[in-house]
Amino acid sequence: MSEKNREGKRTARERMLAERADEEARGRRNKKLIVGGVALAVIAAAVVTGVVVQDQRSTPETPSAAPAGTIGDKNLIVPVGSDNAPSVLTVYEDPRCPACGIFEREFSPTISQLEDAGKISTNYHIVSFIDRAVPGKGSKYAANALGCAQDAGRFRDYHDVLYRNQPDETNDAFGNKAVLINLARQVDGLVTPAFEDCVNDLKFADWVSAVQQDFDKSGFKSTPTVLLNGQPIYPKYNNEEITPANLVKWVDAANQGKPLGTPGSHGQSPAPTSTASESNNPSPSAG
Amino acid sequence: MFPEGVVRTAGPATEWIGTAARLALAVVWAWAGLAKIADPAEAAQAVRAYEILPESLVKPVGHGLPFLELALALLLVTGLGVRLVAGVSAVLLLAFVGGIASAWARGISIDCGCFGGGGAVDASQTEYLQEILRDTGFLLLAGWLLWRPRTKFSVDGLLAS
Repeated sequence: MSEKNREGKRTARERMLAERADEEARGRRNKKLIVGGVALAVIAAAVVTGVVVQDQRSTPETPSAAPAGTIGDKNLIVPVGSDNAPSVLTVYEDPRCPACGIFEREFSPTISQLEDAGKISTNYHIVSFIDRAVPGKGSKYAANALGCAQDAGRFRDYHDVLYRNQPDETNDAFGNKAVLINLARQVDGLVTPAFEDCVNDLKFADWVSAVQQDFDKSGFKSTPTVLLNGQPIYPKYNNEEITPANLVKWVDAANQGKPLGTPGSHGQSPAPTSTASESNNPSPSAG
Repeated sequence: MFPEGVVRTAGPATEWIGTAARLALAVVWAWAGLAKIADPAEAAQAVRAYEILPESLVKPVGHGLPFLELALALLLVTGLGVRLVAGVSAVLLLAFVGGIASAWARGISIDCGCFGGGGAVDASQTEYLQEILRDTGFLLLAGWLLWRPRTKFSVDGLLAS
């Protein structure tokens, strides 16, 4: 550029062409930078929007309202049986899960007997992840209805009715609220206007979602997950298959030398214990 | 007449192939993104199930990823910044393939959650090979666009003319 103008027209013309080419190249580069910048800005804006929007759409991990009598630091657990029983059976199950149906139909009489004898209390985590894998809403709707039954003090009976009438996994009968209410008629005194509203309005939807999110984080990967005093016992414990007889045997072994609990009516825990409601749950007995 | 390198004309056939690749990849990203939006908890669990990211990153990734995929779809449909978008697509697909391969190698049983769903599944229901082959197919589309980013009906083309 700073060279002396030596050879007149020809050089000037060449220089002009070269400058023009430079300018065009610069223009193209700038255009590319702008296009790339815009594309990156679109991507960044989308990601930030997504994180913000989806966080807001997420239901809280601590529900604002939980069925009466639920326990645990977030009131996600439905307890059945005596709250001072020497052993705790923990059951994670999904209303639509076929293996849970098989488990319940085989074991629920034994579990109820153990509860009524004051030998165990059962902590139910009613999860709802089948809806993610199989089209439908039956897991969530049935889990909500079970929350409504717990609120009305009839969880165990309704829980047993649902599993006895469980549809095939791909049949979303529980996604029909009328079906859930009709089945509730098999439980004395359960169906009231309040119960029907609770089922129809998905009153405990946030609670259902919180129970599922808790399961997501638990590390347990399938249902039913069954623990006796924290030890997995399904499908096997100490190389023995779980059977009703073995379950009784394991419970009796665990309870040796310990006083039995005092069962409540309908197999329900009498009331939430003082440890049931903690500061992070504003209204454990709301509803 | 043209100074060298101004327009690398690859021929109209190539540009049409590019348009097809662009739109196909756009459909893939749009489908993948939309399927993950409805339930944020499900999207987060799909990420968590890989057992790769720390818990603090599970939700940001699960919540942000579908929107990233939708942004890529939008840019591919319009044909804006095709080479860059193809590059980002390729990096993302390589990350997915790596994640799936890692889950497979560690013996974890999950659904990849590529198009919604995700999370733990029964060991008999894993489809790692199919998932990796599918993503490899998508990777070829992105690779073509990285190599030949000039396509018909693109904003890039409009701006260049």
